[in-house]
Amino acid sequence: MSDIAHVVIVGGGLAGVSTAAALRSAGYDGVLHLVDAGEFPYDRPPLSKDFLLGSKDLKRIALQPEEWYADQDIRLITRTRVTAIDDGSVTLSDGGVLTADRVILAPGGDAARPPIPGADGPRVHVLRDAEDAERLGAALVPGARVLVVGGGLIGAETASTARALGCDVVLAEPATPLEAAVGPVMARWLHAMHPARGITTLTARVLAFQDGPDGIAARLEGENTPRLFDAVVIGVGLVPRTGLAKAAGLEVNAGIVVTEGQTTANPAILAVGDSARRRVDGLLRPCAGHWEAAQQDGKRAAATILGRPLPPESASWWWSDRHGVHVEAVGSMAAADTTVMRGEPEPSFAVFGLRGGRVVAAASVDDPAAVRAARRLIDRAVEVDAAALADPATDPRRLLRR
Amino acid sequence: MSAGIRVAAVADIPEGEGLKIDRSLTGTDDHIALLHDTDGSIWALDDTCLHGDASLSEGWVEDGCVECPLHTSKFCLKDGKVQGLPATEDQRPHRVEVRDGEVYLFPGEAP
Repeated sequence: MSDIAHVVIVGGGLAGVSTAAALRSAGYDGVLHLVDAGEFPYDRPPLSKDFLLGSKDLKRIALQPEEWYADQDIRLITRTRVTAIDDGSVTLSDGGVLTADRVILAPGGDAARPPIPGADGPRVHVLRDAEDAERLGAALVPGARVLVVGGGLIGAETASTARALGCDVVLAEPATPLEAAVGPVMARWLHAMHPARGITTLTARVLAFQDGPDGIAARLEGENTPRLFDAVVIGVGLVPRTGLAKAAGLEVNAGIVVTEGQTTANPAILAVGDSARRRVDGLLRPCAGHWEAAQQDGKRAAATILGRPLPPESASWWWSDRHGVHVEAVGSMAAADTTVMRGEPEPSFAVFGLRGGRVVAAASVDDPAAVRAARRLIDRAVEVDAAALADPATDPRRLLRR
Repeated sequence: MSAGIRVAAVADIPEGEGLKIDRSLTGTDDHIALLHDTDGSIWALDDTCLHGDASLSEGWVEDGCVECPLHTSKFCLKDGKVQGLPATEDQRPHRVEVRDGEVYLFPGEAP
């Protein structure tokens, strides 16, 4: 693709940095700009864990060391936004213009703020970037009364960290989180870890917040008296950033709509990461919204730009670390017609989802090898014996090696 | 150092898996992970993945790499070079010799 000599990546999260890395490793030798609004590209998963806890600072969660960008000949432009995309160029917030034969949008998203009265108050936090985490961290002092709204990945991890910091934590979640992803048994077990670690769990929605001199009052569904907190953290999902895409006239539908190879409605513009929605075989998928998916988007975008075949699809994988346990999951538990449990919750267990004798999903608590094996069983479509999967004495790796 | 330390039998480490050798035995700062690749070869790297404090001896060993059991960072078995995020630091490699089915480790020596 010798006609492509200038590539601009908009957004330095994992998807943007992965796209840059994939372009260079696939042999792209033209100009490569990476434009990011922050101080330098950093990894987001630690924001609810080590970074919030204070055990790692921003430098320690950098996605790549500073010298990596020079080594890879990537021109990193920080503290800058792209304000417009034109034919063959992009305009920067400082007025600069970059030539762009291809633009890759990796804008990420903003933490969702539900339409609860008072949810925009100063004691109400979200957790999306390092500034959010720093502001929240300052409020998580020992003894602070903290309400976490939403018990999914961010909510559960933040509640766990707040508890570890000595806060008095209440977690409000109307459903059992992650049930669709890990199955009901593991989902209930994971949610029950919160009260076991001293967190009060409430099966309720928040109806309203009201800031006062002694804290923020939260009125909860089914309760007459509001509860008083020093800080509230809302973790109820992500809103993709689609402003630039809309302004560029691209198809936007709760995310930037792209092809299997990450191309938008304009062949010179691609999109990757949390804001991208792939249409594969005519079906519009939801935004993947997971860490590894962002990297895979980057590899596909690089392949598309360089005219290479797309890398093989792999079952979607994610992890969560909370209350000292490591959770991971792969595939789609909703696609399973049978589930098989392996092991006991103490010390470690896994659940496999099968359909027609093949593994389609797995989730584990402190048994990552089970999920790593399942991922390969899914990707290679290996037929398995459910009884062997259920037997903790069978090493799941051996199921692959027959 | 030239004779190496006999740390395990090849049969102790199934292919695709690892074995942690305690630093009290190796005399190194970190423990050392012996890693048995799917082609039958045996390699040694510093055991602790600096990203998330995980033991690479519990990782997934396949096709010349070990995948960290926590966050799937990949390291090349022969030189410890990091192949995939989230880790960004290489693992120090150590020389290994296999003689008569026994694994000899040379802590601190480059492979």
